[in-house]
Amino acid sequence: MFDAVLVRPIINVLLILYRLLGGQTILAVALVTLFLRLILTPLQLKQQKSAKQQQQLRPKLEELQKKYKDEREKLAQEQMKLYKEAGINPVGGCLTLVIQLPLMIGLYQAIVRVLAATPLQLLALPQDIYRWIPTLSTLIPLNSRFLWLDLAAPDPLYIMPILVVATAWYSQKLITPPATDSQSQAMNKQMQIMMPLMTGFFAATLASGLGMYFLISNLVSILQYVLFRSHYALDRAPSSAPARAEGARKAPRRSVSKS
Amino acid sequence: MIIWRNLNSRPTAPRGARLWRGGMLLVVLLLLAGCRGGVRHESWPGLTVVDGTLYAANLERVQALNAETGKVYWDFPVGNENDVGPFYSTPVLAPEVGEHGMLVIAGLKDQAVYGLALGATPAERPDQRWRFGEARGQYVGTGTLAGDRFVIGNGDGRVYALNVADGTLTWVFAARDRVWATPVVVEDTVYIASMDHWLYAVDLESGTELWRIETEAALAATPIHALDHLWIGNFASKLHQVDLATGEIVWTLDTADWVWATPVVDGDILYLADVGGSVYAIDLEARRLIWDLPEAVSGAVRARPALSPDGGLLFVASYEEGFIAAFDTASGTPQPTWATALQNPGRLPGDLTVDAERLYTMPIMVEERIQAFDLVTGELLWSSPESVAGE
Repeated sequence: MFDAVLVRPIINVLLILYRLLGGQTILAVALVTLFLRLILTPLQLKQQKSAKQQQQLRPKLEELQKKYKDEREKLAQEQMKLYKEAGINPVGGCLTLVIQLPLMIGLYQAIVRVLAATPLQLLALPQDIYRWIPTLSTLIPLNSRFLWLDLAAPDPLYIMPILVVATAWYSQKLITPPATDSQSQAMNKQMQIMMPLMTGFFAATLASGLGMYFLISNLVSILQYVLFRSHYALDRAPSSAPARAEGARKAPRRSVSKS
Repeated sequence: MIIWRNLNSRPTAPRGARLWRGGMLLVVLLLLAGCRGGVRHESWPGLTVVDGTLYAANLERVQALNAETGKVYWDFPVGNENDVGPFYSTPVLAPEVGEHGMLVIAGLKDQAVYGLALGATPAERPDQRWRFGEARGQYVGTGTLAGDRFVIGNGDGRVYALNVADGTLTWVFAARDRVWATPVVVEDTVYIASMDHWLYAVDLESGTELWRIETEAALAATPIHALDHLWIGNFASKLHQVDLATGEIVWTLDTADWVWATPVVDGDILYLADVGGSVYAIDLEARRLIWDLPEAVSGAVRARPALSPDGGLLFVASYEEGFIAAFDTASGTPQPTWATALQNPGRLPGDLTVDAERLYTMPIMVEERIQAFDLVTGELLWSSPESVAGE
């Protein structure tokens, strides 16, 4: 099911792009990665917006927590009421991630399969190719050479993993919200180190075509952040909702953008 | 500057959301890590049977076994197994070389070809005489013997001709992409099928190119020489008949799927199985289908089929399903007594091999890496490493 709905379409799009781009696997991977990240942009914007709105409500939420510290049910009701008034879905950010997950995994699997690093992997590929699109089969095996890289093999010079770690660290630094307490700060720091190292490890040990996918994803994340932040800052206006305005006034200065 | 300024004005997400996000990222990375597959690098192993002895290239080692009992005579290499294999390439025996013959093997990992001088008896451990390690790619295809030459293609797109006695390089021919098919030698010409879509004819003595033709797609199957022509299938789902002298494609048969399995020939009849599991019998002289069985075998077929010694049965291995189907060669009728599922969930990418009494398979992803079946009944006779012979 997952294969039919997601992985196979991506594989075939990769093949079509490969043909259109004159047999450049790297460009096909880059374009598909870029395209999927663009599709996800509205969701990511929504997630960021939701995070920002929740941050603005934080003072109000803290007040409620103090006020109803012994009445859990009442606290939950009031919190929901507050979210409703502010027009926020408190689990909206999580849903966004749930939608992103299969797309990321699908793209990853498509790249692995279409590069077919071993003969046995290539043997599994025919069933993934749409036969009703003429001559797609004739493109196999894909040209896996790009500069010094064999996209189906790990980078022998470790340049790709280094680039992946650097960009992953930077994008992680950008998207991680600032912590409000020391415990969260420590956790953030750990994540900002662990995640890039893990992706770097995968980039070093797996096919460098996947490293390219990580690299492009990271660059797109950084770009999206820049574009989104500037767009969102312009979009911001003093809120008509009393709770939102109150929240904005009480929020720490560094968390308030242009006003 | 914009980035850093905005960095300082980031919103604060609730701690729970941050934890959740971190957890999800970890899950993604772990899922991605899971896509790497098992630690063991599987291959499609191959075996050769000569005078009652099996020579099998299997995972990280080459073994010699008693064909009747499955008893292992010896292993190569000893001690440093992980440096040579796994093997895709089938061992090739040069019986006339040296005192008792030379076994030539090509490993994937160390990208080298080895010449093993065999002992006086099958049980005697061979002596490594030479090693050729100049190729820069992996050996997936099997080599072929032509007089004192051993010719083998490599993943670096080159074909190497070695002196089989000492492993010295005679000539190198460069194709444009990987060469996974076994080179075919007819008289003084080597025919090389490459994944670059081209079929090359090369002079055996010098390695000079004589002609080449481009087909529509990758050529992974080994060409077959019959009726003074080459017959070769490709990933465009076609079987071509090629003129030996000029390289002209004189006839083409459309198949239902990719052709990866090397066909087998009996007289002027060629038997072919495509990746989609369809099986064909083709009259080469008349250039017509005798019978075809669409998707007769469930699961992909990569292994070269095998014919029974009397030519009456055609055996076809399903890669994914791990079973062997048998068909009557005259009519294409499946033989129910032979549609024997292996007694394990293994897969069968490696070529099928027969001798006068047994059919041998090398399933992967299982412990029993070599199996012998009775040619008449399909009964499992023994398996290795768990030999059951005589019990």
